[in-house]
Amino acid sequence: MWDRHDPERLEQRIRVEVDGSITALSGKVDFGQGIRTAFAQIVADELDVPIDRVNIVLGDTDQVPFDFGTFGSHSVAQETPLLRKAAAFARHQLLGRASAKLGVPTEKLSTEGGAIVGGGKRVPYAELLDSEPLAGTIPDRVALMPKERRKYAGRPMPHLEARDIVTGRATFVADVRLPGMARGAMVRPPMRGAKLRSLDDSAARTMPGVIAVVRNGDVVGVVAERDEQARAAAGAVVAEWNAIPVEGPTAEVPMRSDADVDEKLRGASVRLAQTYVLPPIASAPIGPSAAVADVRGYGATMYVGTQRPFGVREQVAKTLGLPEKKVRVLPQITSGTYGRNSAADAAIEAAILSKGSGRPVLLQWTREEEFAWSPSRPEAVLEISAGLDADGRIVAWRYDEHTNVHTAAGLDPQILSVTSGRNAIPPYAGFPAKVTLHIEPTRLRTANFRSLAAAENVFAIESFMDELATLSEQDPLAFRLRHIDDERFRRVVERVAERSGWRERPGGRRGRGIACTVYHGTYVAQVAEVEVSLSGAVRLVKVWCVVDPGQTLNPEGVRNQIEGGIQQSASWTLKEELLHRDGRVMNTGWDTYPIATFRDAPDSIEVSVEGDDSAPPTGVGEPGAVPTAAAIANAVYAASGARLRSVPLTRERVRKAMPG
Amino acid sequence: MKLALSVNGERREVDVPPNTTLLSVLRDDLDLTGTRYGCGRGQCGACYVIADSRAVASCLLTADQAARMEITTVEGLAKGDELTPVQQAFVDLDAMQCGYCTSGMVISAAALLARDPNPDETSIRDALAGNLCRCGVYGRAIRAVQRVAGTS
Repeated sequence: MWDRHDPERLEQRIRVEVDGSITALSGKVDFGQGIRTAFAQIVADELDVPIDRVNIVLGDTDQVPFDFGTFGSHSVAQETPLLRKAAAFARHQLLGRASAKLGVPTEKLSTEGGAIVGGGKRVPYAELLDSEPLAGTIPDRVALMPKERRKYAGRPMPHLEARDIVTGRATFVADVRLPGMARGAMVRPPMRGAKLRSLDDSAARTMPGVIAVVRNGDVVGVVAERDEQARAAAGAVVAEWNAIPVEGPTAEVPMRSDADVDEKLRGASVRLAQTYVLPPIASAPIGPSAAVADVRGYGATMYVGTQRPFGVREQVAKTLGLPEKKVRVLPQITSGTYGRNSAADAAIEAAILSKGSGRPVLLQWTREEEFAWSPSRPEAVLEISAGLDADGRIVAWRYDEHTNVHTAAGLDPQILSVTSGRNAIPPYAGFPAKVTLHIEPTRLRTANFRSLAAAENVFAIESFMDELATLSEQDPLAFRLRHIDDERFRRVVERVAERSGWRERPGGRRGRGIACTVYHGTYVAQVAEVEVSLSGAVRLVKVWCVVDPGQTLNPEGVRNQIEGGIQQSASWTLKEELLHRDGRVMNTGWDTYPIATFRDAPDSIEVSVEGDDSAPPTGVGEPGAVPTAAAIANAVYAASGARLRSVPLTRERVRKAMPG
Repeated sequence: MKLALSVNGERREVDVPPNTTLLSVLRDDLDLTGTRYGCGRGQCGACYVIADSRAVASCLLTADQAARMEITTVEGLAKGDELTPVQQAFVDLDAMQCGYCTSGMVISAAALLARDPNPDETSIRDALAGNLCRCGVYGRAIRAVQRVAGTS
């Protein structure tokens, strides 16, 4: 389901415009991870044009080829070779046309700043169109621009949108303004899945500015001229609901079942069993969900923040009873949402409100709605047991992951093992393992979240590796290296030890912890240094990270993503816990769901990007966030002797776990 | 109610219902959408503007209160195409990811630098502590302000 089957067509990928600028098209979307910049770099390189002459169109369903969605750090990895090939093919076509036009053989022609040059002649790309756009099936093999002629890829580049962002000109979803646009506000049920029993909108309809009270099944909302008017009227709608609890699915997936695990565990000279617990957490974007819908006449235009433009098109078409072709989805710049934007709720609601009122509608969720109604990262309970031989090597490993479903992609065991079971299998070698994923029911709405279950599993696995090392009196670094047989993995672990000066231990109330993983082909190792006060308060002092994401297009972009992942993960680890009762979220504001602030940021996060240039590029949006929790927890242990198996690492928990 | 505000050095007249917030007036009446909605409770900093030289949450000010103040939004910082040094530093150090919180951060930093041109790191952290960022660019933002302050 992740593959494309149709051959790629040039006209769906690259357009040379009449002014000589280049338009490149992709079904991927950018929500802060910088892919617009990365794509512009490769297209500018292949077509030999200044990067400001490249316009990247992302996710416009009327223009771009079908795409399943932007997930799991795959985007750059999947899309880069395709776009590069398309742009290279466009260059070959331009060379061919220039050869015919100038009467110079193609071998004697070259490109230079948006023109074909050779034989003393020069013809700009725009003059090679002759009203005939570039087109054709992109062949499997196309000669690419030689590396030494690439001007942008591999160089640090700030975001292309950076100037628009610092001047406030960037248009996020909620900044879209259409003529005649009204505002929407929803009437929310007491809990999800509730069915509307009765509705009295008589008071709401007479309130200032109200255009319509719209109902579609159990979806109720108000459309008014102004935002505050819509909210006030939504508050005046009297709705009665039948509460019908919704419970998530259950499943059991054996992910690895090597022989002799139980027997070898019994025969081990030392055994250890521990349980690690992570609470649900919120994606908590700074900008709550928003959508603009224009459903007038027979068709709909949607301005949305989404990771799945074609998925939104399908859902909106279904909701409105339109053929998909009549729905155009235009993804806008959006607040980072870290996975949450796989769900199209605000878009569907805005479409319903627009259809019901006959006006284009901007629906802006409130902060409280965002916390209460968006999907969350599921909780996880992770049970591990392992045995060591007399020489301190792992002889067997048993792992039971209990969590809730992480995606709406279904209960196919193969899908579950790469989503809810992501990184449940340890990256270490030399012993048999039994790994089982148990999907437990929950009333909380859970879904995709940055790194899926990897952050939870790696917290457990890497904490446990430290505990095994302590138990057998081995250095945590050396113990890990004994169980690594992948050279790239070994290198990042050794390099982070070097860079952090692993062997020099900080004194006083400070300590350092190490953690590492392989996330979807990206190798990442981190050392965290913390300071633990006598009362148990943890301050993150510094993090070192070495990452190998294969070939690296924009090292500065990689560093920024990895730093951000570490900072966000530190916030999850030290501060965050979503509280709910029967699926109803209790902490719905920044006062009750605090996240890390400027005051909590570590003194520094030192990221070293050491990509293996011979390996294909892998994602960097997620891996940075994956080992951080364990690195911090291991550092807390080193600093204070407190072994925390539950996050967040609150002052009370750390104090209680401190020895003596 | 009819009001005259002073925004980015210009007199702007609006006619809005009583108790409309400054945030709503900026975004919905004056088309200054660079000031962003984040929480409506003054807890995240996305909607900060400079009001009489202080960075404040525009979601907590009524338009009526704001009419007595000199308001500067993120759109009012740069002079034409020329970015202020702190905006330029945010660009140069790539101190942003999704960019949603950036307007508010730049406003807090500009207000800080106007009252203290050479703040140390603690003052920078304190001045920006009201600006939440989820993508995790705190370190880069601190360095951007330090670069302008000359205290790095």
